[in-house]
Amino acid sequence: MQKLPLLPHVCQKIGFVLILPFLTLGIAFVGWDYNISWLSYHNGAGLLGTNDNLTDEIAAVGTIIRLMLIAFSKEKIEDEAIQFFRLASLQWAVIVNYIILMVCILVWYGVAFLSVMTYNMFTILFIFIIRFRVVLFQYNKASV
Amino acid sequence: MKNKIKIQRAIHNLTQDDLAKKISVSRQTINTMESGKYIPSTALALKLAVVLGVSVEELFQLEKGD
Repeated sequence: MQKLPLLPHVCQKIGFVLILPFLTLGIAFVGWDYNISWLSYHNGAGLLGTNDNLTDEIAAVGTIIRLMLIAFSKEKIEDEAIQFFRLASLQWAVIVNYIILMVCILVWYGVAFLSVMTYNMFTILFIFIIRFRVVLFQYNKASV
Repeated sequence: MKNKIKIQRAIHNLTQDDLAKKISVSRQTINTMESGKYIPSTALALKLAVVLGVSVEELFQLEKGD
């Protein structure tokens, strides 16, 4: 089996460390409309311009980066069986994600659906990470 | 697919850990292969055959439905 291009194992640890700051920032922004003041900027010129803030962009990009660091870093021993489980988990996550999305399309409309699409940016990676961890746990438990 | 990895490992007096180290995989992978939950790639099957001193056909047999 050809080896998958993956990040070094240390990136997974960095991803786990980054959970706290970006999750906190994301929850603060969504829940309380928190903005970091020095990330504000004026977009456009004169009266037509708008004031904007980069807090939500940083929280979203940071969340995607940390999820990708966790999802696509090598395990301590990354052999072909682990890679098989990795690909199988990714397939499972894609299927489950789109089933959830189909249900959401039928249930939520208008502005509420915009929130669904926002969360859907992260769910595929999130579901994959959870599924892969569960499969690895079962794999380790079965061979004790 | 059936396999005789466990039998051959016993003949050669190797633990799962010993065999795993010889073919550079984790011990869990040996376990999942022995229990038939994971079918190895051609490269890994050939490595196993070399280490255990048997042919790939002796180590792995097709079953009905494969």
